Amino acid sequence: MTVIRKIYAVLLFLSLSISPANAKLFGAENFFLDNGLQVIVIPNHKAPIVKQMLWYKAGAVDEESGRGGTAHLLEHLMFRGTDKVKGSRLNDILEQNGAESNAFTSLDYTAYHQSLDISKLELAMALEADRMQNLKITPKDFELERDIVFQERKQVVENNPAAPFSESYRRLLWQEHPYGRPVSGTSEEIKSLKIEDVKKFYKDYYSPDNAVLILSGDIDTATAKVLAEKYYGKIKPRALASKKEFPKINENLRASLKMELPQINAERLVRTYIAPSYNTDKKEIYNLSVFSKYLGEGETSELYKSLVLDKKLALSVSSDYDFASRSYGRFSISALPAEGVSPEDLNKAIDEELAKAVNGLNIDKVNKTKDKMLAGLVYLQDNPFEAASIVGGMAAVGMTVDDIEKHADNIRKVSYQNVKKAANKLFSSSARIDGILSPKGEK
Amino acid sequence: MAYRRRRSSSLLSKLIKTICAIAFVIYAVWYGYSRFFTFNPKQILEESVLKEKTFASQVTEVVSPRHKIKAYLIEDKANPIISISFLFKNAGLASDDANKQGISNVVAAMLVEGSGELDSQAFKEKLENLAIGISFDASVDDFSGSLITTSENQEEAYKLLADSLTKPLFAEKDLQRIKQQAYKSFLMQKEHPNSVLSLELAKFLYGKHPYGRNPLGSIDAISRITEDDLRGFLASHLALNNLIIGAAGDISPEKLGLVLDRIFGALPQNAGINFVRNPEIDFKQGDKNINLPAAAGQNISSFAAPGVSRTDEDFYPLYIANHILGGSGLNSRLSKAAREDKGLTYGIYSYLSLADKSPLIRGGFSSTKDNYNKVVSILNEEWEKFGRKGATKQEVEDAKNYLVSSYNLRFASVANLSEILVYMQKDNLGRDFLQKRNEYVKKVSIEDVNKAARRYFSTENKISVNVGQF
Repeated sequence: MTVIRKIYAVLLFLSLSISPANAKLFGAENFFLDNGLQVIVIPNHKAPIVKQMLWYKAGAVDEESGRGGTAHLLEHLMFRGTDKVKGSRLNDILEQNGAESNAFTSLDYTAYHQSLDISKLELAMALEADRMQNLKITPKDFELERDIVFQERKQVVENNPAAPFSESYRRLLWQEHPYGRPVSGTSEEIKSLKIEDVKKFYKDYYSPDNAVLILSGDIDTATAKVLAEKYYGKIKPRALASKKEFPKINENLRASLKMELPQINAERLVRTYIAPSYNTDKKEIYNLSVFSKYLGEGETSELYKSLVLDKKLALSVSSDYDFASRSYGRFSISALPAEGVSPEDLNKAIDEELAKAVNGLNIDKVNKTKDKMLAGLVYLQDNPFEAASIVGGMAAVGMTVDDIEKHADNIRKVSYQNVKKAANKLFSSSARIDGILSPKGEK
Repeated sequence: MAYRRRRSSSLLSKLIKTICAIAFVIYAVWYGYSRFFTFNPKQILEESVLKEKTFASQVTEVVSPRHKIKAYLIEDKANPIISISFLFKNAGLASDDANKQGISNVVAAMLVEGSGELDSQAFKEKLENLAIGISFDASVDDFSGSLITTSENQEEAYKLLADSLTKPLFAEKDLQRIKQQAYKSFLMQKEHPNSVLSLELAKFLYGKHPYGRNPLGSIDAISRITEDDLRGFLASHLALNNLIIGAAGDISPEKLGLVLDRIFGALPQNAGINFVRNPEIDFKQGDKNINLPAAAGQNISSFAAPGVSRTDEDFYPLYIANHILGGSGLNSRLSKAAREDKGLTYGIYSYLSLADKSPLIRGGFSSTKDNYNKVVSILNEEWEKFGRKGATKQEVEDAKNYLVSSYNLRFASVANLSEILVYMQKDNLGRDFLQKRNEYVKKVSIEDVNKAARRYFSTENKISVNVGQF
């Protein structure tokens, strides 16, 4: 049960590997049950295995202020029993039937998943449907799991000497926007959580019309329809809290954060621009995806060639664009300065190289970048478990299956003029933070 | 009498009818209850429309026509993708020359920095444009590599891989960059307490034995490495007589035979690798606590005890035993005792570590300082109790069911398949291993498991290294 912020791998994977025009990327089929549950089937018949993922469109951003950690603690309690499947019996049943079972919480969503032999799928569906409606939270289990998520935060976040930097960095960038919160909640928040917080979150958000079910593997759509109806069809939708309104970002924000921390031995630099996402400006995400690939993804990108190879100011530099989010997206550039190069000087050099990269954009370069992004799309059809995660992560933030399947086509249509426009807009009028993390005691 | 008889017979028949009626009602209530008010996994599986399928990947042994290079192959035409995994046995970190520690890592990095007529950038451009993946890695024991390609671009892919193995550029400017990146990796390796702990554990267990080395190598040694050293490593470490190959995906045995000659045919016949002796570990030296200068969130513990190799007759019994004690996630005894019942830690686990010269049972946990001693006690109690009393029949059944039912999950991708084929050969498991493996698991009896538990889970032979505030 891990906390993840986003599936960055999604983007990396898409940019790595995308064949013929208009081919479907995953071959996913999509339908809705009467109660609102969205079901996506990704048939893959090479082995008799399947992955079920149930994604709730609810995560840390939906917590009430000061109640940080609620979504994640509820995720843990989903393994502590229902009226019919008491205590740890869910884990026992899945174990006895050879399932790999787990869950994760992010800012935007919470997902539960099982990979198992196709002959055992119905068992997993019955269990998942049961805990969508019949969760039982006892005070004793609540206290135990609160202790466990407290330990989890200590282990996953606080043991990492760079954590104070990354948490402050997100807070400063996002200000009042809930993307500034740690998914785990702070230690103090975790300790102050009450059983009512998680019960309310369950009641408010765990409903079939707020969820996406993915079945990826050795199953056809007709069978999936019958089974989804059988196990999930009778669950009544709850009256959901109204659609989440996110605070507006002030695009004039220019912040910088410098932090010196003990145990840190090497300087690093990271900057982030608050960028368009699928939900804030759908057209722009294809332009920026191409731009990010061109600018800083991989060792043939513009920034790597200029800063690492030619000028030798950095040992690594990369960009990352995340458009699959319910609210705004993010465009980040991170770098490791070369020995003897100050992070401040490297940061200035990045500014210069960004300007050069944008000015240097032409049809030829954009086409070459698109070719790289569109090579090897067939890999997406190999692993049913990975396909489930990629498609689920996009569908859970509201991307339609049609848009997911047409991602490559939309990349293909991108023009160089629009890439340039999008890049110029990103760098001139987006909220931005520059961060430098250094060893304590150095200049 | 007749009347009476009739009466008694009527009484008897009434009685029978009543009993039947009561029985029926009880049955109906029980049936209704179990059907609608309890969760009945057996019934769900019996009524499931999705039935178990026989699935067996056929493994073919391919021998190349010219150089007689062997490989295992699973042909799978589901997608136009081909994956080839390979490994040079005993060419890993432990066999690096003492004054060139880390050279295997540097070679792994430098093999993708250009070859033949392509410089580093041209090489990487080509991989990206054709969606070909080539990578190399050095583990403590072996030097491994992998290729993934679409069927469409396979010919280019084979040429690129062949060139990187036999005609690498090893340009000075790329070597300088790799060395500087290595230097930063050394600095950053000491940041996270987990990686500090793993370095300390290796030293504690293995001392001056090559298994005690830093997995990155030695920064001084790396700084002195020259192009000649890299070429020397290739000539002495990557040869046909220590090469193991697995292939999977859209390729026929005949085609693979030809491909093997093209990719690997130019390698030298024999490797000249430093022999690594078996380490002598003192499992009686107890525990070592290391105070870290700054308070991290938690104390972190890593423990080890003697284990068995993959081909040892105790392997399956011990594998199952360990699964029960600490290998099965939330369901393991350790996890139930320390996490699920007490909330003292986020995770506690154990696993079988299968390094060639030092098979171990290893494990770890982390917890805040106030909980730390309690978790240590639970670990020691559970470990000792398991060694003394062993597992229950139900636990052994559950573990075996899990291992058998979950077996097909590893066939999710062609890259997984080719990798499994390499390890089947490295560990001499036999070409029919994929068919036989579940039988190996089913054959293990509770007596076997408990014999292994008694033999390997003794607190006297468990040592630990711990970092944090003590």
